[in-house]
Amino acid sequence: MLESEERFRILVEGVQDYAIIMLDPQGKIVSWNAGAERIKGYTADEIIGEDFSRFYPPEDIERGAPQEELRIAAVSGRYETERWRVRKDGSRFYANLVITAARDSCGSLLGFSEISRDISERKASEARYRGLLEAAPDAIVVVNEGGEIVLLNLQAEKQFGYHRDELLGQKVRSIIPEGFAERLIADGTRTAAEALAQEIGTGIELYGRRKDGSDFPIEIMLSPLESPEGTLVTAAIRNISIREDAQEHLLKTLAELKRSNDELVHFAYVASHDLQEPLRMVASYTQLLAKRYKGRLDSDADEFIAYAVDGSNRMQGMIQDLLAYSRAGENGKALCEISSENALQEALTNLQASIEESGAVVTHDPLPNITTDGTQLTQIFQNIIGNANKYRSAEVPRIHVSATKTAGDEWIFAVRDNGLGIDPQYFEKIFVLFQRLHGREEFAGTGMGLAICKKLLERLGGRIWVESQPAKGSTFYFALPQIGVK
Amino acid sequence: MTASTGNYAGPLEVLLVEDSVGDVRLTREAFKDAKVHINLHVAADGVEAMAFLQREGKHANVPRPDLILLDLNLPKKDGREVLKEIKASTTLGSIPVVILTTSASEADILRSYRLHANCYITKPVNLEGFLEVVKSIDNFWLSVVKLPHETRL
Repeated sequence: MLESEERFRILVEGVQDYAIIMLDPQGKIVSWNAGAERIKGYTADEIIGEDFSRFYPPEDIERGAPQEELRIAAVSGRYETERWRVRKDGSRFYANLVITAARDSCGSLLGFSEISRDISERKASEARYRGLLEAAPDAIVVVNEGGEIVLLNLQAEKQFGYHRDELLGQKVRSIIPEGFAERLIADGTRTAAEALAQEIGTGIELYGRRKDGSDFPIEIMLSPLESPEGTLVTAAIRNISIREDAQEHLLKTLAELKRSNDELVHFAYVASHDLQEPLRMVASYTQLLAKRYKGRLDSDADEFIAYAVDGSNRMQGMIQDLLAYSRAGENGKALCEISSENALQEALTNLQASIEESGAVVTHDPLPNITTDGTQLTQIFQNIIGNANKYRSAEVPRIHVSATKTAGDEWIFAVRDNGLGIDPQYFEKIFVLFQRLHGREEFAGTGMGLAICKKLLERLGGRIWVESQPAKGSTFYFALPQIGVK
Repeated sequence: MTASTGNYAGPLEVLLVEDSVGDVRLTREAFKDAKVHINLHVAADGVEAMAFLQREGKHANVPRPDLILLDLNLPKKDGREVLKEIKASTTLGSIPVVILTTSASEADILRSYRLHANCYITKPVNLEGFLEVVKSIDNFWLSVVKLPHETRL
């Protein structure tokens, strides 16, 4: 018996990881092991006979913690806690400790055993984790396999409007939608690789529920965590109502923009259509004047009438082009696969007279089939090639059309000419309504053709640009998206 | 060609339904330019056009027109309604109606023919074009074609 007690004493004294000490009923230290010396810094000689309260921080001593803990241990047999303790050198460590009352066979108190270990490291890593958790901008909720919330952060309290204690141990479905909670748990039980950091809620409308019953849109990221208590699922819950508001605002702005654009189109149509009426009168009667009275008034009158006729003719041209511009793409057909080569041929047929007149040579590479509006593509070719033929140099116009496909699934068409070329400073201007680079005496026209091309291309999801040097010809490019045929 | 060839002897009666006095005068001038002798009657709106055709009130003694030139956009009663009423009428339905308007809208064109317009012409914006059109109307409707003369029989 004594022998086994002795063996036991040696065993206890040799334990390094745990401080194992015995106290008498008043809390005086009666035994001290190697672990106690390592953890608390005192040798057995220094500490035996001292009161165990010297391991407590002053604030705990002040509130009578040492005596209180012994009292509880005496009454209930056992007292367990995690508290700060003080080493011999005054430094603190975070201890997990158990105080157990020792009684004889008659039940009288013999003293206490106190087993403690230093869990400062775990505490620090927990604190770091906690810091991370609390600093996260999203609500974070950790849920166990039973669907109960085991941990949450400050954002979760804020977002859902609960106090932390109200949610701990509660079913997660009280804050996120029914059905979804189950999926959350199910996801957690899948393999970590499968479920890790998977994002759910994108594309699906998910709502979180606040304590006051109100809902808010959320997005959830899940990641499973294997723990001694089983699989835990960490759910990062993002309140996306701000994003939704922004989206809503964007949609509203878009709708407004569309409305104002529609109004503008309507305005341009009405203005150009209604302006045409009185203008037709002006034009017709000045023309009638010219027809009937040319040479019958004086030469001033003939000149004045000529200017009036010219002005009204030009204005009619502009109004008609404005009308054409406002209508461009208006009667757009459903996009279908067409031969861009056919569209080009059609454009050339429409331009036949002017091409024959200039003797222009128009060539082209094989051109692709493309999903777009064929009529509009013809119009685009016609305007660009028409310009190439019109703004020609002294040479015979040579116009070449080609197409290349980009990696970005676009067809880029190029119309190259050997014409007058364009100064780079006008590259933007030429696509603007009524913008012209030449005087009317040089070239007729209202400056609408490229503006119409630009509008049509933008409606078709494409774009148009030019590369050119004066006297070296121009290449007009336009890109059209390659759309899969449904 | 003149209005008398191939048709009933005497000047032809043409009703022009047109609210713009400028257009009325221009049409007159165009007929004059084409050296056509017709009696051109004018109704300035749809209501007056119907009154003329039905010889109501001050129109009691007007002749029945051989041809109607009808604008679509008219005050009081729209040209489309006038067309519909003319073509629905057993007495007026046989009079050829030429729609002469500024509208080039596909919808107007289709609708007019559905209402049995005899032809549809968009007014050219320049004088030469307009003179040409009036000359063509004269040439075709008042010379080439045979017109019905049911009330004169």
